[in-house]
Amino acid sequence: MFRSFYKLVLLFILGTVCHWGCATLFSYIGLSVNMMLVFALALCSVLRPEWGYPFVFLCGLFLDFFGIKLFGNNAFSFTVAACIMYALRERFDFDSIFPQMMVVFCITCLVGMINSILLLWFTNTAFWPGAWSLLGGAFFGGLLSPVVFWGVRRWWLGNATKRN
Amino acid sequence: MQRKTHKKSSAGSSRLYTWLPVSFLIGSFLLMLLPLEGFVSSVKVVLAYIFIPQVRASHETVKYMENVHQTVQELLKTHRENRELKQQIEMANLLNTQARQIMLENERLNTLLGMTAQKRWNGVWTHVAYREPTQWNVVIVDKGSLDGIRPRSAVLSLEQDQVGLVGIVLETTEKTSKVLLLRDKDFAAAVQVGHTQETGLLQGNGSAALQIKYLSLQADVHEGDEVYTASSSSIFPAGIRVGKVSNVRQGKGFQTALTVEVDPWIRPAAVKELFVITNGGEK
Repeated sequence: MFRSFYKLVLLFILGTVCHWGCATLFSYIGLSVNMMLVFALALCSVLRPEWGYPFVFLCGLFLDFFGIKLFGNNAFSFTVAACIMYALRERFDFDSIFPQMMVVFCITCLVGMINSILLLWFTNTAFWPGAWSLLGGAFFGGLLSPVVFWGVRRWWLGNATKRN
Repeated sequence: MQRKTHKKSSAGSSRLYTWLPVSFLIGSFLLMLLPLEGFVSSVKVVLAYIFIPQVRASHETVKYMENVHQTVQELLKTHRENRELKQQIEMANLLNTQARQIMLENERLNTLLGMTAQKRWNGVWTHVAYREPTQWNVVIVDKGSLDGIRPRSAVLSLEQDQVGLVGIVLETTEKTSKVLLLRDKDFAAAVQVGHTQETGLLQGNGSAALQIKYLSLQADVHEGDEVYTASSSSIFPAGIRVGKVSNVRQGKGFQTALTVEVDPWIRPAAVKELFVITNGGEK
């Protein structure tokens, strides 16, 4: 139990480092790759929901922490993404690369759109990152997702805690 | 009975799996409804304690990773330089061995012929520690009398792997020495012009070119001739390169000697490491 908790904390820290790194590197070409979301989705593919939802919510709060106009939108959209992921987990085999990439691509686009709608609704400010930024970010997120999924699954499933 | 318990637990967990995301969604929705001041800012302050160290660590990691590329390049460059320098050291060691044998042979022959052999240069390498801003022709080096440096010691340096004259030690303290550079007007040394063996007196001339005085009018001196310290010098060892003749002014009318201008081999403004000869006159 405690071992799993520490592993989760370590994964969260690793996720923030990756997110920070990718945000910095991809910003040079005008893209925002949401690695935190990729990490959250990868963990949802292996974690039980009672661990997965709080973790994903915390990941969303982490991104909200940097927001200045609205607080809670990322926590909301990440929780929606987790709901979708748990629903899809029973239908897709996330051991293979293609479902991982497709799901990450689609959910990243969805999360971007949810965030834009929430910002428009709550703050009356239109926030559209642009098609290149949104789709390009989702594309690169999808491209990097097999590595993240592989790492997370190897890290987590190596433990006694198995996916239910 | 067992089936009933299993059914109960599975219904409980399915209820939990429904309410858990709903509660988080409601929670985040409420967070969005709340004004950014007050409660939300308090939540942010609490989160800052958790996230700020992490953000800082992430930022440092990314910064470090950005530098990795540069560091690896520098390491590779250093490795290549190290290999080249090792080869050069091996070559230098070989030359040193040959030179030592030639010197021994030279000493033997000098003894046989009854000639006085030149002494070997002994000295210390020093670094220029300070340049007097008001006196560009004087530098202070980081070694002094404790290292064997005495006033009137000759000071040399290397330019393109060749030794050249730089100046003379004026004063010493225990750990520093003041060096007068050869472009100073108070500097003088007996020199000879390359192939002619004609001897004259080299003098500094401030920022202008060095001058050789008292060369006979018949001396066959041309531009580009090398200038070396003369064996008649009481301070400097013979044969140290001083510079190249840049101009020859023929005597007019009553002049009895040539005036030759010399570009110094060692640029005084560029000297950093100096070799001070410590075993006195080399003769």
